[in-house]
Amino acid sequence: MTAALPSRRGGSSRIWAAFAVPGIGWLVAFFVVSVYAVMAVAFGDVDPFLKTPIPAWNPLEWDVTTMSNVLGEVFNGYLRPVFVRTFWFVGLALLGCILVGYPVAYFAARKAGRSKGLLLAALVLPFWISYLMRMLAWTNLLQPDGFVNQVLGWFSLPDNRNWLDGDWYTVVIGLMYGYVPFFILPLYSTLERIDGRLIEAGRDLGASSMQTFIRVTLPLSVPGLMAASVITILPMFGDYYTNTYLTSGSPRTEMVGNQIENYLRNTGQPQTGASLVLILMAMLFVLMVYYMVTTIRQQRAAER
Amino acid sequence: MSSSRRDFFARSVQLGVLLGAGVPLLQACGGSDDKRSKVAKSIADGLPPEKGPLRIINYADYVNLEVIADFESKYGVKVEITTIDTDTEATTKLASGAIKADVHHSMASTSIGNLIAGGLVQPLNKSYLTNFPNVISTFNDPWYDPGATYSVPYTFFGTGIGYRTDRIDPALVEAQGWDTIWNATDFKGQVSVLDDEREAFTMAMLRKGVTDINTTDQKIIDQALADVSELIDLVNVKVNIEAYKDIPEGTTTVAQTWSADLIAGAAGYLPEGVTDEVLGFWHPPAGSYVVTNDSMGVLSDAQSPVLAHLYLNFLLDNEVAEKNFSWVGYLPAIAKLDADYVIGAGYVPEHLRNCVPTNDEIAQALYLRPLGATGDAQYETAWAKFTAGG
Repeated sequence: MTAALPSRRGGSSRIWAAFAVPGIGWLVAFFVVSVYAVMAVAFGDVDPFLKTPIPAWNPLEWDVTTMSNVLGEVFNGYLRPVFVRTFWFVGLALLGCILVGYPVAYFAARKAGRSKGLLLAALVLPFWISYLMRMLAWTNLLQPDGFVNQVLGWFSLPDNRNWLDGDWYTVVIGLMYGYVPFFILPLYSTLERIDGRLIEAGRDLGASSMQTFIRVTLPLSVPGLMAASVITILPMFGDYYTNTYLTSGSPRTEMVGNQIENYLRNTGQPQTGASLVLILMAMLFVLMVYYMVTTIRQQRAAER
Repeated sequence: MSSSRRDFFARSVQLGVLLGAGVPLLQACGGSDDKRSKVAKSIADGLPPEKGPLRIINYADYVNLEVIADFESKYGVKVEITTIDTDTEATTKLASGAIKADVHHSMASTSIGNLIAGGLVQPLNKSYLTNFPNVISTFNDPWYDPGATYSVPYTFFGTGIGYRTDRIDPALVEAQGWDTIWNATDFKGQVSVLDDEREAFTMAMLRKGVTDINTTDQKIIDQALADVSELIDLVNVKVNIEAYKDIPEGTTTVAQTWSADLIAGAAGYLPEGVTDEVLGFWHPPAGSYVVTNDSMGVLSDAQSPVLAHLYLNFLLDNEVAEKNFSWVGYLPAIAKLDADYVIGAGYVPEHLRNCVPTNDEIAQALYLRPLGATGDAQYETAWAKFTAGG
């Protein structure tokens, strides 16, 4: 009997392992191959007549000239302000998501009581409308004769502002608005799973509500906060149509995504666009590694 | 319309976040060698039309769907339109085989040479194009396609300044010319230039008296970049192709724009209670006026080449062209539809007569010509620097 157990366990584990095959296949087909294709374009050539990329599939034939030039522009050229601006916009939008999203997620998870279901439905509601439609709605709201200025007028505030004339804060608000649902949901699930007895223990030991929040709830919600931040900022870094819509193409708010789009779709320099994709991916990879290391450390600390 | 006014919306609609940007890139990875090796020949005379469907590649909203329906019922075929966002995208997808089509509806003048060299379009058999004599004579032998061997003209338009006459005195615009855009400091955030590197830098060159608008002299391009970049701080310039609606709606006061945008704006984008009198257009005098046109052609791997020829011929019919213009707003290159006709028929307000380039202006026009990969890259890189913030 005892000899049969390992065999059964082995068969069982193989079945479970087989469950990962579709995911791995998906990852290989739509991530590994795709990224390799981007690399082949970045290090490849261009058809002189049709301006189509001629990918270099053989790594031995890779030409790094374009990547080298683009890196030079990113660190010490015209692309530097674009990257700096993008990091600023994303950072500010993330801060806004935290300030707006955390209280909402906290209330929904811990204080909403019977209204929790309704509130959750309300949080999911924005996903029913495409991001693009929501941005289009914003352009109407922010027009000089739009609803935002009308509301300002009701309170006798200046109501002739053109919010769409290329200001950084319009883009940041747009990013915040667009991505805050992505921020709230993962944070909500973390906050909801916090053991209520830990919070009660904090109160029983004499801590005030605020002290309990700062010393118990907030530290326990850090993994959710990190996950929400990662889920939010990754698409923000590549976003370009929020900016396109909300500033009508002002050079003052150009983001990295706009440059990538321009190089890939409107020029005969797809290698430059592909190089920018790889550089942005590398930067985001650093952030992802930081997130993963932090998460693993927290898990280990919790296991002790 | 190398970067059509319709590109902007469609481009934005169809694109996603960063990964979306990789899609055209991946689609473009297909080889183009097989296309290049083809020797395109024109079809024989007197062939019967195929059963279709006729596959067309075109910008969004750049043909009247009633005209398409008329063609379908006349020849008993279905027409399928694939929408593209930019001229570059069309070339890339056709070259990679991502799109299969019979008719390229809107080839930019600067691209036709490359499409011919790349073997993507086939020579036309004029025996099917019985309406070709309807075309404005200047386009019988265009610079981009000698003898109109591979293309027939579709629409044409000039580049100038669109503005609000209720905010800027037309006499002032006439006196200032291109400087109007640099001097519009009272209208910060309400000034735009075309989202097209050649057009925008050409404007800066013409403003400084440079008429060699196809120069690849890096110093001149750099000066144009510096001049256009001044607009960022001076007038908080926007870069788009939306003047056709932004000027009528009032969110833009001054814009570098195409003449057809004012015609389209007057026809369909004025808010209630606003008359077309608020729209004004200025363009440089003949000799320094840039006139551009889009053309139609039959693709070399067309499955229905006869039907494609018949479609081109259909669009060159005077009545069909008029019906198409009445909806599209871009003037067809048809001799009958001159300024007097389109104004008399009520398509264009009299005070926007200068939006219709005259035969003299077309004959003396400056043309944006292809510059080759290196020349294009000079302009593209300068443009990227400008859009990055100058």
